[in-house]
Amino acid sequence: MSRLVAVAGWELKGAIRSRWVLGTAGVFAAVTLAVTLLGLGSLRELGLSGVGPASAGLVNLGVLLPPLMGLLLGAGSLAGARERGLLAMMAAQPVPRWTLIVGVFLGLVGALWLTVAIGFGLAALVLAGVADVGDLAPLGALVVSTLAVSTAGLALGIAISAFAAGRTQAVALAVALWFLFALGMDLALAGLGPAVHLGPKGLLAAVLLNPLEAARILAMLAAEPSGTALGPFGAYVTGAFGVGGAAALLAGAIALWIAAPLALARWAFPRRAL
Amino acid sequence: MERESPVLLTERLSKSYGPHPVLVDVGFTLRAGTIAVVSGANGTGKSTLLRCIAGLVPFEGTASVSGAPAGSLEARRTVGYLPQTVSLPENVTVGEVLSFFAKLRGADGLCILPEGFLPADERPVGVLSGGQRQRVALAIALLGFPKLLLLDEPVANLDELGREGFWETLRGVAEVGAAALVASPMPGDLAGVADRAIVLDEGRIVFDGPMDGDHALVRLRARGTEPDPREARA
Repeated sequence: MSRLVAVAGWELKGAIRSRWVLGTAGVFAAVTLAVTLLGLGSLRELGLSGVGPASAGLVNLGVLLPPLMGLLLGAGSLAGARERGLLAMMAAQPVPRWTLIVGVFLGLVGALWLTVAIGFGLAALVLAGVADVGDLAPLGALVVSTLAVSTAGLALGIAISAFAAGRTQAVALAVALWFLFALGMDLALAGLGPAVHLGPKGLLAAVLLNPLEAARILAMLAAEPSGTALGPFGAYVTGAFGVGGAAALLAGAIALWIAAPLALARWAFPRRAL
Repeated sequence: MERESPVLLTERLSKSYGPHPVLVDVGFTLRAGTIAVVSGANGTGKSTLLRCIAGLVPFEGTASVSGAPAGSLEARRTVGYLPQTVSLPENVTVGEVLSFFAKLRGADGLCILPEGFLPADERPVGVLSGGQRQRVALAIALLGFPKLLLLDEPVANLDELGREGFWETLRGVAEVGAAALVASPMPGDLAGVADRAIVLDEGRIVFDGPMDGDHALVRLRARGTEPDPREARA
């Protein structure tokens, strides 16, 4: 246990001190602030109150940027340490392989969550003046969904890092995977869905196979439990599983997107020259 | 009286990268208190051999450290490993690096290197020279008094004083029972330090014998791994 804490602390310290994480936190905070202010501005122009459009903008931001940050952070982890010879020195120590993988993961989760917290913290300060008690649950769900999907991105990045030949290859693969989840699968569904008669079950499967989409649906279900904002698909999932069941299904899918890549990274570790 | 079991035993150890064999049927033993230099021309498998024994590379054949399979948790408890190149993070201090690796080893962080060998604890790694960083990496390999040291070109980048200090320390740890396998393309550097020379050529052991005086060096020169000073003068 003390070794796990040592590895996690080492990774967290290194990530926080690196310029990359500091820069990412700054960019995410600036974009979050801009989305929040633009959303609130559009409300005022219409003479409305509340946080609706601002939180809708934040949902889309939260399921796009933090997973990319997680993917890139994870992709650089093992592959970068391997290139520097540091992974060999760490792996030669009497530390179980799982401890190394999970320690690296936990340390980077800490750095990633800190980055997300800084961004959303700024948004919360701005929204505090206009939010009412009813807004707290959807905003809370948005934060939880964002943290979960960014963690899934990180786990996928670590898995890529465990297999990749080098840091550059790992980062390229991570970016490609992000494009697949953020755009590619939606485009494929839009193009092929009608032709193959996907139906609601096929659409649900496609959502579960895309952690970004699962997190977006989860945040939107929390914001509007009736599921009407999600159209016929929302009506199907809430009708078939209930709101709680649908949320549990989506949360379970994201949890699997975290656990499975870590297991894959652990499997790859002894099979790959360090 | 029963002979003491070896600290390191390899049998038919082989490693290929794709179709290219790097190590072929490498077999030898190393007993406590022995310092062996592994030599050979560039690309003959010296580093790969050390990496296999450290459990960092999958291989065929057998390698055991103090009776435990190489790479197992039990074996790693007794091994100190220094890779050929290591780039420590620049944004941590010397003290933080040593403390981190001491925690991984379950060691107390006590440094057995001579006083003044290491840069001050509070100095960031980013401001250290190549030689100073190498000294920190050597200190990591020696943490916790390992029974077997696997050192890949340990004195690269070190100045004369640093080399002397390190060899002296290595002799000291061997005297109290540790064994060391030192990869070096310049085995002459270990004359007077190593007891034994193992020469690799295209992944095979072509010489394994005592490093007594000129005997081994002559063999090494014959294999083109150590320049002959007479030729150099000519």
